[in-house]
Amino acid sequence: MITFTIDGREVRAPENAMLVDAAKHGDVEIPVFCYEPKLGNPVGACRMCLVEIEGIPKLQTGCSTPAKDGMVVHTQSERARVAQQAVVEFLLINHPLDCPVCDKGGECPLQDITFGWGAGTSRFIEPKRHFVKPLALSERIAIDRERCILCYRCVRFSQEISEDNQLVLVERGAHSYVATFDGHPYEATFTGNIIELCPVGALTSRPYRFRARPWDIEDAGSVCTLCPSQCNVTLTVRDERVIRVLARDNGEVDDGWLCDRGRFAYPALGGLPATAAALADAPAAAENGAGRITEPMIRDGGQLRVVSWERAMTEAVAGLRRAGERVGAIAGGQATNEEGLLLARLMREGAGSPHVDSRAAGTLELELHLALNEPRLQARVSDLEFAHAVLVLEGDPIRDAPILDLRLRKGVRRHGMKLIRATREELLAGPRELADKLAGAGEEIVVLWAERLTAGPDGSRAAAALLELADALSLGDVEGAGLLEIPAHTNGRGLREAGVLPNAGPGLSDPAATGDASPTGRDAAGIAEELAAGELTGLYLLQSDPLLEPADREVWERALERAATVVAHASFLTEGIREHADVVFPSEAYAEKEGTITHPDGRLQRLRPAVAHPGSIRAEWSVIVELASRLGLDLEVLTGAMASAQLFESVPFYAGLTLEEIGGKGVRWQEREAAGAYPTREQLV
Amino acid sequence: MPGAAPETSPEASAVKVSLWDPGEDVVQVQRAPAPGALRSAWRAFRETARGLRTTFGRIAEGPVTMEYPEEKVPVYPRFRGRHKLHRFEDTGLEKCVGCSLCAAACPADCIRVVAAENTPENRVSPGERYAAVYEINLSRCIFCGYCEVACPFDAITMGHEYELSSYDRSDLIFTKEMLLAEPLERAPLRNEGE
Repeated sequence: MITFTIDGREVRAPENAMLVDAAKHGDVEIPVFCYEPKLGNPVGACRMCLVEIEGIPKLQTGCSTPAKDGMVVHTQSERARVAQQAVVEFLLINHPLDCPVCDKGGECPLQDITFGWGAGTSRFIEPKRHFVKPLALSERIAIDRERCILCYRCVRFSQEISEDNQLVLVERGAHSYVATFDGHPYEATFTGNIIELCPVGALTSRPYRFRARPWDIEDAGSVCTLCPSQCNVTLTVRDERVIRVLARDNGEVDDGWLCDRGRFAYPALGGLPATAAALADAPAAAENGAGRITEPMIRDGGQLRVVSWERAMTEAVAGLRRAGERVGAIAGGQATNEEGLLLARLMREGAGSPHVDSRAAGTLELELHLALNEPRLQARVSDLEFAHAVLVLEGDPIRDAPILDLRLRKGVRRHGMKLIRATREELLAGPRELADKLAGAGEEIVVLWAERLTAGPDGSRAAAALLELADALSLGDVEGAGLLEIPAHTNGRGLREAGVLPNAGPGLSDPAATGDASPTGRDAAGIAEELAAGELTGLYLLQSDPLLEPADREVWERALERAATVVAHASFLTEGIREHADVVFPSEAYAEKEGTITHPDGRLQRLRPAVAHPGSIRAEWSVIVELASRLGLDLEVLTGAMASAQLFESVPFYAGLTLEEIGGKGVRWQEREAAGAYPTREQLV
Repeated sequence: MPGAAPETSPEASAVKVSLWDPGEDVVQVQRAPAPGALRSAWRAFRETARGLRTTFGRIAEGPVTMEYPEEKVPVYPRFRGRHKLHRFEDTGLEKCVGCSLCAAACPADCIRVVAAENTPENRVSPGERYAAVYEINLSRCIFCGYCEVACPFDAITMGHEYELSSYDRSDLIFTKEMLLAEPLERAPLRNEGE
């Protein structure tokens, strides 16, 4: 820590912090446009942060001058003020000042800074620079070059963060503009982030175009459940519709970025259709959220027909009664921990069937599950950045969990992390050899492995090999090293820990150990086989459509054909639901859900309802609870919070958690005291 | 009696167990003794005569009341009545670009704007955007005129119309078409110096 003086205040700040950041320790704000710590080193492009430093003859940029001990800085002196006003006047020379029609108006740093640091007048009377506007930079982003103040943020993002190298500044001086080469659309995985980075309205979202102004909307924090990265998001809500998704900075999860899928997929969640043209074409579809199921349905004469909840419930209960113990259940990856727990209880206690699964890749032996998820072996997401080396095993982060791709790039670019890839074959051929190859890279090694590594018939062998590799690298003993699994589905880890496994109860407990000598259930593939063979007659699908899974499509087709009763919770009429479900309960989208999900690194995160349920949709947990009560089982859940409390009670290593403790940033259970309750391998033997 | 506990007899408290005892809060109203018949008649006559004196004293001035529904009070030019939305006279395009600043300025929160984008086929306003929905809930409006002040394009102004009563609340939600339509100028304007 150093002490320096800014505007006559003695301020203590970390040494070498840039003046802009250091000034905040003394509650002094230095205006900036181009400075953004997330983008790496400062560039000093916008000159907005000019400050006067005693002993230095010229004004200095606050964003790129480190604070030093004893420095005396003025941000309000006559010279500094004249410079600030001049910069604002200069930036506004070519800015069109069409704030009333600009989507950024009201949340625009240029507006704020002009108001706070500008002179309020301009001497410029000449014609402004003109471009054709608005142009489509891509399907999802509109670019307005007149509004651009050439701060370089978007270009830096493209060059240094997502490293797609598509955005460049062409021409020079006042004629410069942001473009892709030869006018190609800007297509990559993380393009939407430049909309949020832009400090003016030059880059705006096309789906959000003219939807609302900042005072028309409400923000709701939640977690995106479209992939296992579980990025934190802020949902923009107007008139009970999600109309925009923004990143919510959580350094331990997403580092403040969001992929395009998370950012632009919201129309499919029952928000607005993607374009205004679609709105004009299909007002009815827009009203119903474009194909979303909002009413319960039953199969009647081969066709699904909308019915009342009462009728659908009666039908489902009758079907489940007929199937009795011969029923299997599969939870899809977007189900919350609470839904998983209640589903497993409905099956095990209500129907008396142990056939519950959430893993697409097939089930490992409980012992291997326990070993792979051991708390001391688990790496955090931020470890990916600071590790000496990261081994990516059989995964493709940009497809499976896109946001981790940015983290890996950051590690390589800024911290010299070594990135190594290996396939399942290499692992199976010799984990020790692989360990030897890695050993030279350093001590802190993170192994990022995808769930499909352990799929298939020799999945157990791969899991054992992975454990051997971890052992050889002593990942469990090094701080900042460990394993990080990318599950096949969003909440794969949480559903497992909540006991949605055929061979484990809540908290990966051994079902045999709890006293009821229930036989071990069959996994997803087993359920399909038994359904096809007629051994099982009922199937309960919680937000899951087996026909969409890559594995075993033929078996599943036969299984669904043969099944007497298929009860499904679904948001969309996908093939399996449309052709085979007998009862369909309309299911919530993540913006409507209440509950918790578990991040692949063990961080429990909270979903909060941002919008009301469209149509007559009900909360998933309440549907399961009502079904159970009609089957004669009281699950003792009356509210969403009671379901969460039951989860924290049932899973020993979640013990003592509360929704308040999870809060907006989540809590890693491995870092809590209750992690000591994790069942060890010794306990099993 | 500040500080002193009110004395209550044991019998009284036994009777009114659940009733609130007003204690000393009761105010005794003292009325004048009722007047006799003769005095009352004189008083009624005297007061009537006093009133009629004013009436006959001003009778030469003529009547100042107005037969309201048939005759209307003229309004001042800056009177703030029902809002009007405007079009450009030359092109016929709407002046409103749907910027929602009026909705932001409105202290009664009675304006709702939903914007949409102009296309070459469907050009409603000169800018990039226009108001697809523009509603003012006049049952909530306080006629402060802040919307007029906030409007960067002089698209909304306060008119002179003040006869807004309706049999139905929902009729008081004025849509864009209603606000754009040339209103019946029922209220006469006060002339200069009048």
